[in-house]
Amino acid sequence: MAREGRDVKLPEAGQWPDKAAPVALIVGAVLTTVGFLMAFLTVPPVGGAAVNGVELIGDAMVNQKMLLSQKIFYFHMPVAITSFVALAFGCYYSVRFLMTRARRFDTCARIALEIALLFVAMTMITGEMWTRFEWGVWWSWEPRLTTYLVLMLIVIAYFVLRGSVDEPERRATFSAVVAIIAFIDVPICFMITRLIPSSIHPVVLREGGMSPEMGLCVGLVALGMLCIAFALYRARFRQVRLTERVEALKEELGD
Amino acid sequence: MDPILADIYSTILPSAPYLIAAYALLWVALLVYVLIIARGTKKAEAQLMLLEEAVADQRAKGE
Repeated sequence: MAREGRDVKLPEAGQWPDKAAPVALIVGAVLTTVGFLMAFLTVPPVGGAAVNGVELIGDAMVNQKMLLSQKIFYFHMPVAITSFVALAFGCYYSVRFLMTRARRFDTCARIALEIALLFVAMTMITGEMWTRFEWGVWWSWEPRLTTYLVLMLIVIAYFVLRGSVDEPERRATFSAVVAIIAFIDVPICFMITRLIPSSIHPVVLREGGMSPEMGLCVGLVALGMLCIAFALYRARFRQVRLTERVEALKEELGD
Repeated sequence: MDPILADIYSTILPSAPYLIAAYALLWVALLVYVLIIARGTKKAEAQLMLLEEAVADQRAKGE
């Protein structure tokens, strides 16, 4: 910890990001609400299996089953993207920690991984609901699901490791390595449906399966979720720094 | 109801519980994390206030 705070600019609570966080939270809430309304009110439902016949609904001829379950996708993909971004930040702060040995970066990495775990859990929840209805099972060892499960287990392992190592320097070093490994799984997770074409998981971006309305809706929700994740990160960082100050004061008074 | 229309809309109602559960659980997860942060901040602020009082008392005794 010799170099901590001496020649490295450390993130601190109360800086400009904390002033931007409430704005980000409001923007995030507005964007996700608009995205939610768009998903159900303006984006047309996606068609499923063909039916024996055709019907005029509104101004369109429909010959497929309408899939309401597909509406889960408008939040499922954005929360997955947000989890990847949080892991990227976790990796960045872990590398910064390994370079500088400044404990503040370890704190930042831990909070980024917390946010990542939250969004990974949200991705799993929304994905599970879709899987249960569309595939008829709660779980399938499909490549995307499997790699994402591995990612979730690595993130959980990160916190188990933190809880099991007492010495702060070693804990931070080991955790940083695990955070970097977790981020290595991100491109694998993202590319797996392209690498294994037999996968039943949809590859929306490659197949051009999104209409402009769908893309706009997903984009708005993704932007909103990123804003919410940023606001949550800053709120948690502020709380952790406050707790660290309290602990330091307690030690000082104890002396 | 027209059988073709019934077929077109046949998955709407059965999928509704899963859709509602997905959105509800998503917001519940977010809310739980917000509550954890709010609780932690409140606790830290309360402790900080007590510590500040203790420091003030120590200073007063010192004088």
